[in-house]
Amino acid sequence: MAEPMNNESNVDVLEMPDGEESSTVERCLTFESGDLILYISTKHVIEIINNYPITSLPLMPPYIKGIINLRGQILPVVDIRLRMGKEAAEYTDNTCVIVLDIDSVSLGIVVDSVRQVIDIDLQNVKPIPLKRQQKLLDGMVTMEDGSVFMSVDCQALASPQL
Amino acid sequence: MDNGMESMLDTYLFETNSLLDRLDEMLVADEKLGDLSVDDVNEIFRIMHTIKGSSAMMEFGSLASISHHIEDLFFYIRENGIDSLDPAHKKELFNLMFRSEDYLRGQVEKVENGEPVDTDMDSFAAEINSFLKKISGTGEEQTSAPPAPAKEEEGRPADPSPSALPSSLPDDKKAVCFLHVFLEEGVGMENLRAFMIVNALKECGLELRYYPENMEMNSETCAAIIEDGFYVAFEDMESANKASDVLQTQNHILSYELVDVAAMEAQAQAEAKAAEEAAAAQKQAPESAPAPVQEKPPAPKPAPPKQAPNAPVKQNLISVNLMKLNSLMDIVGEIVITESMVTSSPELDQLNRDAYDNFMKSARQLRKLTDDLQDIAMSLRMVPISGVFQKMNRIVRDMKQKLGKDVRLTLVGEDTEVDKTIVDSIQDPIMHMVRNAVDHGIEENVQDRLNAGKNAQGEVILAASHTSSEVIISITDDGAGMDPDKLLAKARDKGILTKPESEYTKKEALGLVMLPGFSTNQAVTEFSGRGVGMDVVKKNVEAVGGVVALSSELGQGTTFTMKIPLTLAIMDGMKVTVGDSIFTIPIANIRQSFKVTADEIIRDENGNEMVERMDSFYPVIRLHQFYNIETAITDPADGILMWVEASDRSFCLFVDELIGEQQVVVKPLPAFLNCFELKNYGITGCTILGDGNISIILDILSLHAAALENV
Repeated sequence: MAEPMNNESNVDVLEMPDGEESSTVERCLTFESGDLILYISTKHVIEIINNYPITSLPLMPPYIKGIINLRGQILPVVDIRLRMGKEAAEYTDNTCVIVLDIDSVSLGIVVDSVRQVIDIDLQNVKPIPLKRQQKLLDGMVTMEDGSVFMSVDCQALASPQL
Repeated sequence: MDNGMESMLDTYLFETNSLLDRLDEMLVADEKLGDLSVDDVNEIFRIMHTIKGSSAMMEFGSLASISHHIEDLFFYIRENGIDSLDPAHKKELFNLMFRSEDYLRGQVEKVENGEPVDTDMDSFAAEINSFLKKISGTGEEQTSAPPAPAKEEEGRPADPSPSALPSSLPDDKKAVCFLHVFLEEGVGMENLRAFMIVNALKECGLELRYYPENMEMNSETCAAIIEDGFYVAFEDMESANKASDVLQTQNHILSYELVDVAAMEAQAQAEAKAAEEAAAAQKQAPESAPAPVQEKPPAPKPAPPKQAPNAPVKQNLISVNLMKLNSLMDIVGEIVITESMVTSSPELDQLNRDAYDNFMKSARQLRKLTDDLQDIAMSLRMVPISGVFQKMNRIVRDMKQKLGKDVRLTLVGEDTEVDKTIVDSIQDPIMHMVRNAVDHGIEENVQDRLNAGKNAQGEVILAASHTSSEVIISITDDGAGMDPDKLLAKARDKGILTKPESEYTKKEALGLVMLPGFSTNQAVTEFSGRGVGMDVVKKNVEAVGGVVALSSELGQGTTFTMKIPLTLAIMDGMKVTVGDSIFTIPIANIRQSFKVTADEIIRDENGNEMVERMDSFYPVIRLHQFYNIETAITDPADGILMWVEASDRSFCLFVDELIGEQQVVVKPLPAFLNCFELKNYGITGCTILGDGNISIILDILSLHAAALENV
């Protein structure tokens, strides 16, 4: 079942007058994975699908779940949890695949659940103050309600690690 | 804007390349006869003319200039008849033309690669010119070499006019009016642009003449056109008015004016003068046409033929981007899959009988149509192999000259059609084998051939034919053949024998040729013998799923045979399961499937499994072990063995279950996964099955390499 993004974008629109809209505000899709709330710019998001059969490929690192047939297009699917080095979780009805297009690399990411689309002012995004080997997240931002969202580094996502 | 330029460049490259191909074909064919027919001279002239025109438009100076010089040369030949050349000159002409063709091709290649074209082509141009001088020097009349008459003619309109007419109107008695056109300043190649404008007028069906008459051939008219503009002459006012409408649509025109001759006072005067002039001209040059009016026929001639080489192409053929064909192929593949998804949908069971029958009737109709659609989409990608074969003519010709061997190339089955991607990838292998055949195959010494009772002229036959799923290409020479003993001795010297010499059968000995680092020719020549020969051929052919075989009789000749699948995009596959995964094995690779009991499996000291089949032992690869797939079936008695073969490698695959045969559309794996190099582990791609599931396509050759050769 596919939910095209244009339906999605009506969900949580912070209407801004044209004049005030600054270039640092970016519309982002938020989702949960492994107890974290992550977001990714909607310009990379093509659609959200769930209940798609994933064909596993042999000889792949565990985080590459396999490939899916999205209306004739073959897409690789990456499990974000495993990519971040967390424990694997059972796939539930909430589990979905977000189909992304990052510089014409198409791939799907498995996430625990999708939340909503929000506007994030990139000026408020802070770098993550830790040195890490595997860098998949490249920023964090505190929301008005105090929760912390983390930004997914699309480039890191699009370049697979052996 | 950018896009327009790009597609223009595409069209330019396509056209120029096909013109050069045509030129090559003609030259090779004509050289065999040692003569050029009048038609061919005209055609070469036209080809050069078109290349010059379009290159000038695209601002590729070197291409425009060289084709311009060749055009001059052929202008002379056309005017004087090819027979005015003696045989030695003809031979030289052919060599010069082949070199020019190579030069032009080299330039086009640079354009294709996005490199700048040469700016220094003067030496080559000078060579063409000196040849022209040479042949015109031996012709009856020295002055009729193109540059000379060009000046002469250019002078003529100017000569009579200053005294007679107020402006420098060209001398044209029949013309009622002229259009005097000025081009924008600094557009470059003024003469060609003017000529293109004239052509545009002609395309509108207008009767006209233009001055300077030979501006498209003579770049020296540039200066005159910049200074004075150029003239188009009409015989009635109506066409002149129409023409001025057309001019408004043309680029690079600064201004134009209509000049009515009738209104000119000095008309009568001019006429008288022109008559005198004509008489004088007749005395001066009886050879060339006496008066400008009569001289017209040769000048307008090049214009109509300019469209000629394109015309039939435009009617019957269009060139389509290969990408579009690929996506068409993809979509058609999807339709086929979707169709079977619809017709096998479980909801259909809920229909009542009549409704179900009706549905199935329409579904059958749909299936027939999608089958037809698939066939057509497939056939679009098929191109005749003649393009590749024709190129071999040229190669044989060059080698003949350099090696001094008398060889003829016979082509059989040129119209055999092969998938475009395959044609591209087999060109090099074919070229290499043809070279080998001429260089190593045909005897060095003509006397050897005569002694063996053969024709003094060696023959290489390049043949192509179809079977239902394969193209068979064979290269046969009637040369000395290969001596298995010599091959063995050579292999021993190189240290590439793998077992005692006496154990090699003849077939195995011949097969040594295909090993890396084997080259039988003692001396390395320009054409072959670098020792990277047949093994590379073999690799290239295997890369497109083909095989190379070789047979040779000492003293009788050698035959290389390539068998290549018709297409890579669609193939017949056998679906097998391993755990939850579905794999597709190309049918072409399958020899047999059979069941064994556990005790028929034999193990070596490392526990590697083997099975005996038809008196030979073959290794067994358990797919679930090799790919780490969980499956309940591990006992050989529960699963099934597939005996597969690719090239000369043969082994058995242990899988869970056979599902069935299906034609599948091969899709590459996503580029994202490229870095995992699955291709080296026996996985070439995937395909979407009728139910929407994905099946992984196995490559038997690389699976063998990964599973058995790296142990």
